[in-house]
Amino acid sequence: SGMSKDLMPGPYPRTPEERAAAAKKYNMRVEDYEPYPDDGFGYGDYPKLPDKSLHERDPWYQWDQPDMRHNWGQPMHWDFDMYIRNRVDTSPTVVPWHTMRKHFLIFLSTMLIMFGVGQIYPSYRPVGPKQYPFNDLYLERGGDPNKEPPVVTHYEI
Amino acid sequence: MDTALLLNTTMILTLTVITTPILLPLLSQTFQNSPTTITRTVKTAFLISLVPMAIFIYSGMESITSNWEWKFTMNFKIPISLKMDQYSMMFFPIALFVTWSILQFATWYMATEPYITKFFYYLLVFLIAMLTLTIANNLFLLFIGWEGVGIMSFLLIGWWQARAEANTAALQAIIYNRIGDIGLILSMAWLASTMNTWEMQQAFTATQTPTLPLLGLILAATGKSAQFGLHPWLPAAMEGPTPVSALLHSSTMVVAGIFLLIRTHPMFTNNHTALTLCLCLGALSTLFAATCAITQNDIKKIIAFSTSSQLGLMMVTIGLNLPQLAFLHISTHAFFKAMLFLCSGAIIHSLNGEQDIRKMGGLQKMLPTTTSCLTIGNLALMGTPFLAGFYSKDLIIESMNTSYLNTWALLLTLLATSFTATYTTRMTLLVQTGFTRIPTTTPINENNHTITNPITRLALGSIMAGLFITTSIIPTTTPPMTMPTFTKTAAIIVTTLGIILALELSTMTHMLTHPKQNAMMNFSSTLGYFNPLTHRLASLTLLNNGQKLASHLTDLFWYKKMGPEDFADLQVITAKTTTTLHTGLIKTYLGSFALSIILILLSH
Repeated sequence: SGMSKDLMPGPYPRTPEERAAAAKKYNMRVEDYEPYPDDGFGYGDYPKLPDKSLHERDPWYQWDQPDMRHNWGQPMHWDFDMYIRNRVDTSPTVVPWHTMRKHFLIFLSTMLIMFGVGQIYPSYRPVGPKQYPFNDLYLERGGDPNKEPPVVTHYEI
Repeated sequence: MDTALLLNTTMILTLTVITTPILLPLLSQTFQNSPTTITRTVKTAFLISLVPMAIFIYSGMESITSNWEWKFTMNFKIPISLKMDQYSMMFFPIALFVTWSILQFATWYMATEPYITKFFYYLLVFLIAMLTLTIANNLFLLFIGWEGVGIMSFLLIGWWQARAEANTAALQAIIYNRIGDIGLILSMAWLASTMNTWEMQQAFTATQTPTLPLLGLILAATGKSAQFGLHPWLPAAMEGPTPVSALLHSSTMVVAGIFLLIRTHPMFTNNHTALTLCLCLGALSTLFAATCAITQNDIKKIIAFSTSSQLGLMMVTIGLNLPQLAFLHISTHAFFKAMLFLCSGAIIHSLNGEQDIRKMGGLQKMLPTTTSCLTIGNLALMGTPFLAGFYSKDLIIESMNTSYLNTWALLLTLLATSFTATYTTRMTLLVQTGFTRIPTTTPINENNHTITNPITRLALGSIMAGLFITTSIIPTTTPPMTMPTFTKTAAIIVTTLGIILALELSTMTHMLTHPKQNAMMNFSSTLGYFNPLTHRLASLTLLNNGQKLASHLTDLFWYKKMGPEDFADLQVITAKTTTTLHTGLIKTYLGSFALSIILILLSH
């Protein structure tokens, strides 16, 4: 039951014969076959396929599995579950990445700075200080009745 | 009959009537749901819900009802308490009216759908969750409704589940809503730990609320109501069928975030930081969405961005500390936005699935009723005087102009208002007027009363609703009464400028040639590059690092390095170090032994 030992992934191929055998096992050409570097992370002889998501594969070709855009026997990427059509899309963007990032950050920073400026200089209806009658309530505020009250000018807005 | 009894009974009866299509098939052997029964149920519920609304309008009576209490801790009460106040009693009839029209429309739109009853069932469950959210008096019941609408949104957006784009859109909706839910749960936790309750009445007793729970509520509203930062799910949600877009993503679900802020507004009243944040976030959202809508070519996307922009406007109103006005805008917006979506659905089906406005034109002669209602809806959206949108939108702009607020927010909102006029006019020009660009054999048909009745009903609502609601509700705050003429007419002036801009641009497109791409056009049509920048970068790093942590790191460290291999390496290192110490000078060692023994013997 299950796959036989020679169909399962194996250790990192060291000799050219091992590489050829591994390429044959994964249904790849020897020229295309490139294993992950042997840095102890346990990839073994699994091929390092280009990091392209399924979005980039032809939507109109008659794949064996149309939802996965995959043919029977085709080697699957190590991170295939990240590259399906519900997840990360690596298809080339119309506008280069650095331009997108630059324009977006320009937009965002302009907005935030202008909001800051708008907070410093808010907009409001014209207001003036409260104006009271009777010489600014001079007597009511305890002013001396014998003295002349100070001149008060009232404005109309 | 006692008024309070009548009020409570009819409200609870509305909810009961809505849940009957769910309960009856479980209880009875022979009863089967069908689209007609569900539509009729919602219509009945609408008619019943008019009674509490009438009671409220005539007597101003509000009520809070507490039913069963979940006793799982003795000192923390979670009752099922329903608040029938101005907001819930006005929202029920509006939501039910709009839902009834949409369900009637959906009997035609989804007629070829094999699982149509399940579709109607899902819409009904969504409606129940939404009404629960509206009538909830404590945050627990609101959260139940909140999650319910989120789940139903996921199921309905991904209705055609074999379509990968629909699944991606549904996932986007769920994930962005979940990020917002973090905020809501944070606020609930804060509330439970400081006030020992989730009841809204008890939470409003404090005079000054700290900013943290308010930030949580604002985050929740950002997620659910698609404000800038958590907005991409709303345009993506157009992958769902048009009745779903009309019900969820225009009238009801997306206003849940704003509704939460309306319900909890007493907590916001004294905290100026939170209010300013709402204002600025709303202004940014409304402008960003309006900018994106100008260059879209899919009719549903234009209307989706229009919704996003109006939600930003509602958030701005919350930031002005005017929750009642925000609710007025929710109510009027529901009518014309649902109608716009239904009209677009009728157009799409009539053109056999064509959604690109560049392939429509001259439909005014071919689909008169639909396009007339489209025009009415667009005029209401732009805030044409005395249609529904005018009463809420113009009032918001007036209140903005006469308040003490952030200048940039004011300018952005005015700019967004003119952009609203621009993209609306553009849509109207390309869809209804001009030369026709549709294929020659199209199943154009609007003779079915299941199409025309809902649309005309909603058109009537779009015209009358503003007047009706403003005349029957007493405002809680004094609206600005006096202002200079320029301020009073600011909204209509910017709208007119927007229309002129659209007409100028369309003339330019026909007469002059412009380069296909420029930086501004690229920014607008790709929605500000927000989608690829965040979606690709965030998911790539998260998934990659997650896999490295979960599998590679675990395998490498715990199974190899921490155990055998590293141990062996350490052994090798110690062996190598000690080996260098071995110099192997046996004769010297023997000589030193002999010398030391002789010295010791001599010393004794």
